[in-house]
Amino acid sequence: MKIAVCAKQIPDPALEITYNGGNINRPDEQVLDDTDRYGIEVALQLKEKFDAEVTVISMGSLGTEKGIQQALQMGPDGALVLEDDSLSGSNSLMTANVLSELSKKVEADITIFGTESTDGYSGVIPQQVSRMLGVPCISYIKAVDIDESVTLTRQTSTGSEKVVMPSNCVLSVTAGGVEPRYPNFKDIMAAKSKPIERISIGDISYDAQQNLEFVDIKDVSTTKQGEKIIDEGEGFQIIIDKLKELKAI
Amino acid sequence: MKTLIIGEVVDNKLSTGALEIVTKANDLGLDYEIVTVGSEESPNIGSESFKNTYMKCSENKLSLGSVADKLKNIIEENTISLVLAPSTYVGRDLIAFLSVDFKSSQVSNVINFEIEGESVITSNSINGGESEYNSKISSPNKFLLIRPKSFEEAALDLNTNYETVEITSEDPEVFDIFIEEKTGPQLEDSKIVISAGRGMVDSANLSLVQDLASKLNAAIGGTRAIVDAGWMPYSQQVGQTGKTVKPDVYIALGISGATQHQVGMKDSKYIIAVNKDEEAPIFQIADLGLVADTLSIVPKITENL
Repeated sequence: MKIAVCAKQIPDPALEITYNGGNINRPDEQVLDDTDRYGIEVALQLKEKFDAEVTVISMGSLGTEKGIQQALQMGPDGALVLEDDSLSGSNSLMTANVLSELSKKVEADITIFGTESTDGYSGVIPQQVSRMLGVPCISYIKAVDIDESVTLTRQTSTGSEKVVMPSNCVLSVTAGGVEPRYPNFKDIMAAKSKPIERISIGDISYDAQQNLEFVDIKDVSTTKQGEKIIDEGEGFQIIIDKLKELKAI
Repeated sequence: MKTLIIGEVVDNKLSTGALEIVTKANDLGLDYEIVTVGSEESPNIGSESFKNTYMKCSENKLSLGSVADKLKNIIEENTISLVLAPSTYVGRDLIAFLSVDFKSSQVSNVINFEIEGESVITSNSINGGESEYNSKISSPNKFLLIRPKSFEEAALDLNTNYETVEITSEDPEVFDIFIEEKTGPQLEDSKIVISAGRGMVDSANLSLVQDLASKLNAAIGGTRAIVDAGWMPYSQQVGQTGKTVKPDVYIALGISGATQHQVGMKDSKYIIAVNKDEEAPIFQIADLGLVADTLSIVPKITENL
């Protein structure tokens, strides 16, 4: 079994996102999107059971590759990454085109994602990749039960449902679905010698078009003149009085 | 502009998300039809005011790929250029599949849109709602995922006036379907919502929130952080990837107010925030902010109500 697992490098989420025109400013040092740790964890659990080969796939500006290293530290075997200046400001479909081609390059049976990135939040890339690859997409996985077969529990709008993992498919794993492992010192050192293959757009079959044009970013902030009170013992009463005033009680 | 709205069946009726989009489509005078996805027998999803096609799936199949195939035919046969779906699990899957088929990237998390000639201008909320990001789509086919509660819900008399298409497919089998029990007030329509964040320190302390909520007849929500930590099911998450709520009163307990959370609740009519960190961003959008120890103040409110 071969598995491709997607890892996105994003600006440190503790810092506010800033824009250059319509594009997110990306510092040289980006980190692994925490959302991807859940997908990587599922990939590694499959690797342990089925002796699968796990390759991290990623696109975007590579910079110091810190985020790629963080992904490799968890335990994948190597990485295939694509950086190309022409991809700056890619829409979802352009991104999905690249990632589906990377999945094909590593001959993945299973391609695994988080559900949405923490910086872009488009939330459709796994489904788009599955459509491009022509395989089923098992989206919004919230639990994984690995036995001789693999049972995936999906989140639905009303609750959940289970699906047996097909032999060829794309998975998207929700945050909290599994418990991502933390690398120890040995894992961190071992990651440094794992192979990272770097390719560019000419190395893949790519035909996606930009159909979205950035117009502007408008400031719509409203400065709210709210009250801020420091509790000196009667804070609970202030809230109760306000709830009464609002006729909430 | 010829338009298709994708709806779902919820509680045997057309989903709120679709009815919200109907309001916007009416405002813009769009020529629209609806396709509704579900597995129920004879739901009330039809209306005299629009054409509706019911794509009836087997609940035991993961059939959205096959639904997308049928939608593709409808879009081509009726030369539809604009496809609108609420940003739900089903909506996201279908719009993603169709965007690939028509080689036209979708715009996600749209809060408003306008027609400009043959193009569509979309607005997204960024920086916790302080800015709007506007894009123009000029490809022949346009796919939009609309955030819930972006528009008022259309008031319509729904009936069973629609055509049904049975979806039969070779898609993966689904089993052990579990319906989460809905008890008490629901996030989407409750007048009061109380949400908890990391400041509640431990999942055991959520009982304090529950006590207060039952006294106020309020729905309970949570931040992504506590949902990820397993304190609450995903269905109760308020924010960018969770639910959007607009209650009369929103009470944020121990929530710092990350922009991703704010997107889901900033339009509440009145926001009360309790947090012990005086600098927490939630205070910038609160109408009433109380700097206090959340754990000790919540039971006091409950006792004295």
